[in-house]
Amino acid sequence: MQNIKLTGAFALFSGALLVSWVTHGTGVVRDDPERNISIPDTLTVPLQVQASYNDQDIFFRYRWPSASMGIFHDILRYEDGSWITEGGGMPGPNPFGVHEDRVAMMLDDGSVPEFGRYGGYITIGDGLAGLTDEAPEEVTKYLPMTRNTLGQWDDMAPDSELAQLRSAGYFLDLWHWRGARSNPVNEADDQNVGAGRDGDAGEASYTTNWDSDISQPRVMFDIASAGYRALNWDDVQAGRVSQEQTYALIADAAVPYDPDAGWQNGDLLPRRVIRPGASSRGDIRAEGRWADGYWDVTLARALDTGNPVDDKILQDLGTYDVAFAIHRNATGGRWHYVSLPFSLGLAREADIMATRFVGTMPQWSDTWSDVTLFYPGQVTWPSLNSAVHGGASSIADRVPVRARHSPEQLAYYGVEHEFRTEIRRQWLMTLLAGILLIGAFGVALNATIVSRKGA
Amino acid sequence: MAAYHVVLIHFPIALWMVSSLCIFIRAFDDGVLGQAMDRALPVFLVLGVIMGAIAYLVGLSVWPWETLSSTPLGRNHMLMASWSLAYFTLLAFIRYRHGPAIWQGLSRWIMFLLAGIGVVLVGITGTLGGHLVGNYTEVSELLRRFGWEVYTTYYLPDLTLAIIGVVTLVLLAIGLLGRNRSTTG
Repeated sequence: MQNIKLTGAFALFSGALLVSWVTHGTGVVRDDPERNISIPDTLTVPLQVQASYNDQDIFFRYRWPSASMGIFHDILRYEDGSWITEGGGMPGPNPFGVHEDRVAMMLDDGSVPEFGRYGGYITIGDGLAGLTDEAPEEVTKYLPMTRNTLGQWDDMAPDSELAQLRSAGYFLDLWHWRGARSNPVNEADDQNVGAGRDGDAGEASYTTNWDSDISQPRVMFDIASAGYRALNWDDVQAGRVSQEQTYALIADAAVPYDPDAGWQNGDLLPRRVIRPGASSRGDIRAEGRWADGYWDVTLARALDTGNPVDDKILQDLGTYDVAFAIHRNATGGRWHYVSLPFSLGLAREADIMATRFVGTMPQWSDTWSDVTLFYPGQVTWPSLNSAVHGGASSIADRVPVRARHSPEQLAYYGVEHEFRTEIRRQWLMTLLAGILLIGAFGVALNATIVSRKGA
Repeated sequence: MAAYHVVLIHFPIALWMVSSLCIFIRAFDDGVLGQAMDRALPVFLVLGVIMGAIAYLVGLSVWPWETLSSTPLGRNHMLMASWSLAYFTLLAFIRYRHGPAIWQGLSRWIMFLLAGIGVVLVGITGTLGGHLVGNYTEVSELLRRFGWEVYTTYYLPDLTLAIIGVVTLVLLAIGLLGRNRSTTG
């Protein structure tokens, strides 16, 4: 009888440990649109990068997997006499699969030294749009010194100081290729990050195809050249529209909207009109093709654009810092994959070495620099410098993130940070439950062995 | 305090590992060697618990509570350290309370299995501590293959916590029934 009790107690104890092992880490992490939370199924994505330059220009080539081709952003869908907007940003993927794919690269020349150590993390201040604790107004990426106080998104440094910081090079160049809003005119959006994520001087490559005064689109496809006035909603959703056909409303090729053109339910017009970017904002040329589940995008820009307060000027034999990001699977906002910072050398040893070539176009080899992109969650720069981060003192000591963390590790931490309150509660209860279980097992063990001894 | 914790923690680890070795040997050997192991066992276990408690308290002061309870590796290290200390306290109590009687019949094999679980707990605790100071081992890869990514917090869902609560109550009941039977018998 005592053996049965002893065996039973051990079996219960072991069984509880086994159930604990099998079920740990479940029951907390789940999508919660109310809190702007949507966790991607895949936490890391590979990105391949090449770079090359000649006397005038530098070229970057990017390749990454993407199951679908995100060449549409927001669109207008005709239904029962009205045009309905679809494809807007939201937590996680757009349910209709309509939101453009992107690749972005932040670039610095050493003027923002924290960027070389911590990459894009330094641009994630408190209050950013898309965070659970987003500010009441739209706040975009910004650099720490553009605010008087760390963590205070609305405590802006004085204008004179911001201007001085800018002329001292305290900004990041942002090359932003957009599958719908820039690629159709073979450009990338030339932007920068300083007091906010802003476009360079000039005009963007996109504007809005909506006349709010008369509540109708401004332009439509030219049936003479495209073969149709509109695309079809079902075709777009099913991915039956290719890059070989006319899918974007290019300003010069589109024609004024005709309300009497016999519109049918399911007719679709892009909500953006695409045109070449103007001035500094149109500095970056692009070519992006999707095939066999991969994007292959090449960006090119003058080494010296002549716009030093918008762009980082590159020089032969120079070294720089870069970090990358992609959007895929119809996601926008913070639902992207990012990289750690990498060094870029123009014919100099670096993580990514740009090779020098003679001619107008580089001859790409099969040698790539492999980058692991990861889902960053809602980890902000203020939180990394606070007591919730065990490595805050390492940041103060200027230890680079790559010395401590891998992309995979950061992806896990990013997800956990989104549920930090809930996970901490469950962890504490787990700790306590384990101790009580061990104690109770001790009581059972003690009693059954006592009985044996007494018997 | 981190450096002191690293120094101190070697004592309970060594004492608990030797204790487990003593249990393994004693479980298979009733001879002179096994008897010698059993005589040394309570010393190692009690010293291990004392040194473990000291190292645990020093460890708690390495990081502020806000930091320790906010980082996955910190949480995991503390969880496993708490369980290890509780677990070896249990073994020390059982051996101290019952003496050589624990080697009679089935209970010797229970002790053998418990020592095995203890080695695993202390091994995981040490591995996580290594991660916290940047010294990685392949043990974390082994844990990953068995289903636990050490960069994620080890926590249980409510249902499992409830199951453990029930098991805890049943174990207490077994203990109380056993005590009553022993007293009345």
